[in-house]
Amino acid sequence: MKVDDMHILSSSETHFYLDEFAELVISINDQNPVHGVHLTDCFPISAEGQYIAVRNDEVELGIINDIETFDPESAAVLNAQLSRSYFRPRVVRVFNITEKFHVPRWEVETDRGKRTFEIRSSRRDMRVLGGGRILIRDADGNLFEIVNYFELDALSRSLVETQI
Amino acid sequence: MASNPDHIEAPREVLSLLSSDESVRWVRSTDIRLDGNYGVAWLMATEYRLIAFSPNNEGRNEVVEFPFEEIESVEIESLYGSAALRVRTAEFGATIALFSKTLAFSFAEAPAELERLIREARPEATGRIALGHIERGVYRQRRCESCNAVIPRYLGVCPACLESSKLLGRFMSYSKPYWSLALASLVILLIGTFIGLTPPLLMRILIDDVLDPVGQNSGSTLVNLPYVETVTPTYALGTLVILLLLINISRNALGALRSYLLSRLGEQITYDLRSEVYQHLHRLSLNFYNDRETGRIMASVTQDVGRLQDFLSDGLQETIRNILTIIIIISILTYLDIKLALCVLLPTPIIVFTTLRFGTYLHKLYRPLYRRWAGISALLADVVPGVRVVKAFAQEDREVNRFETRSLDLLKGELSVAKTRSLFAPLMTFLTSIGTLLIWWIGGNKVINGLLTLGDFVAFTGYMWQFYGPVESLCHLNHRFQRAATSAERVFEVLDSQPDVVDPPNAPTMPKIQGSVEFRDVSFSYEEGKNALKNLNFTVEPGEMIGLAGHSGAGKSTIINLICRFYEIDDGSIYIDDIDTRSVSLKSLREQIGVVLQDPFLFNGTVAENIAYGNPEATQDAIIAAAKAANAHEFIINLPDSYDSTVGERAVRLSGGERQRLSIARAILRNPRILILDEATSSMDTETEAKIQEALARLVKGRTTFAIAHRLSTLRNADRLFIIEKGQLYEQGTHDDLVAQNGIYAKLVRMQMEMSRIRAV
Repeated sequence: MKVDDMHILSSSETHFYLDEFAELVISINDQNPVHGVHLTDCFPISAEGQYIAVRNDEVELGIINDIETFDPESAAVLNAQLSRSYFRPRVVRVFNITEKFHVPRWEVETDRGKRTFEIRSSRRDMRVLGGGRILIRDADGNLFEIVNYFELDALSRSLVETQI
Repeated sequence: MASNPDHIEAPREVLSLLSSDESVRWVRSTDIRLDGNYGVAWLMATEYRLIAFSPNNEGRNEVVEFPFEEIESVEIESLYGSAALRVRTAEFGATIALFSKTLAFSFAEAPAELERLIREARPEATGRIALGHIERGVYRQRRCESCNAVIPRYLGVCPACLESSKLLGRFMSYSKPYWSLALASLVILLIGTFIGLTPPLLMRILIDDVLDPVGQNSGSTLVNLPYVETVTPTYALGTLVILLLLINISRNALGALRSYLLSRLGEQITYDLRSEVYQHLHRLSLNFYNDRETGRIMASVTQDVGRLQDFLSDGLQETIRNILTIIIIISILTYLDIKLALCVLLPTPIIVFTTLRFGTYLHKLYRPLYRRWAGISALLADVVPGVRVVKAFAQEDREVNRFETRSLDLLKGELSVAKTRSLFAPLMTFLTSIGTLLIWWIGGNKVINGLLTLGDFVAFTGYMWQFYGPVESLCHLNHRFQRAATSAERVFEVLDSQPDVVDPPNAPTMPKIQGSVEFRDVSFSYEEGKNALKNLNFTVEPGEMIGLAGHSGAGKSTIINLICRFYEIDDGSIYIDDIDTRSVSLKSLREQIGVVLQDPFLFNGTVAENIAYGNPEATQDAIIAAAKAANAHEFIINLPDSYDSTVGERAVRLSGGERQRLSIARAILRNPRILILDEATSSMDTETEAKIQEALARLVKGRTTFAIAHRLSTLRNADRLFIIEKGQLYEQGTHDDLVAQNGIYAKLVRMQMEMSRIRAV
C-alpha cells in the first residue's frame, strides 16, 4: 500500500483553528472549512502523535503526520486539542505505594500535578512495555504513564519495582 | 472526592461570585482545572446562570458564566483519559469543566440536572438541552456502593465491607438440618482430641511409677500403679502397653469416624447450597447477568461453594482441635509445673510473630510469581485456540520464543522464592528448639535437685512438641477465615439478588395466544437516564410479519426483549391479545414465544436433543418433520450418527448456516404463537441464505413475527416495516411506502444497494 492511500494532509495546504464554539475547524486551501472535527491518535501508545486521524462524525478527512510541519497557529491548536483529548499524565515521581486488601494505592507526582490513585489488579491494569515504560489504568479508568521507570529517582524506582 | 455530590459546599471565593438575589442550586467540584492540570475547579448553578470557576498556575482564577436564557446545550464529552463538560449558546461555546474518570459518576447526570434547572428558569425552552452520557454500570463494578472503596478484580466484592463473622455465621446456619450430625462430629472431635493427648501422661506413669522404682530396687519388688493396686512391674508394664495400644486404636478410629462425619456434613451443606445457588441463578433476570462476568457467576457455583466446603470440613475442625489442644496442653503443663510451663510458653510470641511476618513476606514474594503464572496461562489460552493462525503465518518459532521468555521469568521467580521458603522450616524448628533448650536446662536441673520427677520431665518435652504445631497453624487462621468469608459473600450475593421480573402472586396462565401485540406508551431504559425506548406505540395484528430496521443501538433488540418480558418496562404497557403481559405467568407467556437468534446456541448433546430443547417430549416423527421444514434434514442425515450425532464444543462442528437451521427446527417444533427472528440470516452465503429464507417462510406462516435484520433485502416478505430510531418508531409501512417516503429507510436501502454493487465488483 502506498502512503498516498492514507491521505496524508498536506501541511502547506491545510489549516486548523478553533471556531467561536471552541470546536476544531479544518480548512484545506482556505476552502470549505469543516467545523467540529475530532482528532484520533491512531497509535496513542506506540507512535504517539505521528498518525492523527482527522474525522468529522464517522468520515475521515485525512491523516496528520507531523504536527510541527504545520503553520505555528495550526500546530498550537492541534497540540492543545490533543493534550485536552488525550489526558494521560506522566508519573515523574512516586512518593509511596501502600496496599490494603491487595489494592495498591499510589501517591505520585505527575507532569499535571500530584495525584493519588488505586489499581484493581496489578496484572490486568498495568502494562509493562519495553524500555522501562509502564502504562497504568486506575480503578476508575484514568490513565497514567511512566515513560521509563529506570530513570526515576531511586526511591520511586524501588517502589515501582514492587508492583511489576 | 465526596460520594454524595449534593453535600459539597463551594469555597468562599467561589460563593463570592454570587449576587444577593441568587443562591446555589447545584454545585460540583472537579479534579482537573481548565488549564489541564490536576486541581480543584468548581461548577455552580444558581436560579438563572451557570458559573465555572477554575484557578490556574499563575494564581489567577478563570471564571466563565452562562445565563440560563442563552444556553442551548449542555454536553458531556468522553475523552481518552478524562471527560469534559461543554456548554453552547447561539453565539459561542466553551468547555466549562474537565474532570477525571474518577468523577464520571458524580457528573453522569450533570447535563440532565442542569437541563431541569434551565427549564425551570425558562419554561418555554424547547429541544434537547442535555447531551452526552456516561455509563454508570462500569462504575458499579469498580467501587463499593456503600463505602466507595476500590473493589479488587480478583475478589469482586468489597473486602472492607466484608463482615466475616456474620457471613460465616449465616453459612453455618445451613448446618441446622444436620444438627445431629454436627453434634456427633463435635463430640467425637472433643473425645478424640482428649485421647490423643494422653500418651505423654502414660509415659510419665511408665517412668515414675514403673521404670524408676524398678531401677532403684534392682527389678525385684512390686510397684504401685496409680488407680490400680500394687502389682508386679511386668504386669504394670503390660497394662500400660495395652492401654497405649487401646488409645492408639481408639484415637485413629475416632479420627476416621470424625473425618467421615465432618466430610459428610460439609458435602451435605454444600450440596444444598450449590443447588440453591443454581436454582436461584435461573430465577434471576437477565439484568443480573448483564452486570456480571460469566466466569465470576460460574465460580460462585463451583469454586466458592467448594471453598466453603473446604472451610467447613477441614478448616473449622482443625481450628477447634487446635484451640482445644492448646488449652488442654497448657492446663496439663501448668498442673505439672507452672514454672516450666512458662518456659514452654516463652517462645510462643516469637513463633506467632515470625509466622505472621513470614506469611506476609512470602505472600509478597509470591505475588509477582502468580502474575507470571497467569501470564503463561493467558499466553496458552491465547495461542492454543489460535493455532491455525500461528501455522498459517508460520509463526511457530516466535510463539515458542514468547513462551520461553515467560517461562524463564517464572523459573527465575520460583528460584528466588524457593530460597526464602527453604529458610522458613529450619527457622521455625530452631525457634521451637529454644523451648526445648530451656526445658532441658531448667527442667533437667529440677530433676537433678529432686524437684521434678523424670516422668514429669519426659511428659513435658512430649507435650511441648505437640504444642507449637497448633500455635503455628492458628496463625494462618485469619487468612483462612477471610478467604472463606469472601467466598460466602460471593455466594450470598447471588442468593440475595432479587429477580427484576417476577410473576404477580397467583398469576393466571396466558391463554393460547392469537397473536395481536400492542405497545402502549412503552418507555424503557437499561440504565437510569438513558432511554432505550421512549413512549413507543404500535399495534400488530395476529399473523402479521413485522420487520424491525434501523441503526444499531436504535432499540430493535430492546423491543424483542420486552415482548419476551426479559426486562420490566418503566412506563406504559404491553398487551398480547389485549392481556397485559405483566398480569400472566412468565412461563406461560414465554412458552408461546419462539426465538431464532443470530448466533444460535447449541447445547452439548445430540442433534435431536437440540431440536427438541423446547419440548423434550417430542417424538422422532415430529423432530424429523421439524428438521425437514427447516431445510436441515438433508445435512443432518449426512452427519456421522445422523440425528444422534453430538454437537457442541467437543463434538461435530456445524457451520453457521447449519446451526441456524437447527435453531429454526427448534422453533418450528415448539410451534410458537409469536415468533422472533433476531438477525436470523446475517453472514450467510447466498445459497445457505436461500435455504434459510425458505425454511423461515414456512416457519413464519400463520404466526405473528418480529424480524430484525440489518440486510434489508431479508425483510422483503414483511407485511410492515418499523423503522426504529433512538428508541422511537420513526417510520412504518411496506417497503414501497417507505421508499416513497424517502426517509431513513429509503436512505438505508440506497446505502445497501451501493454496498452490494461494490461487492459485485
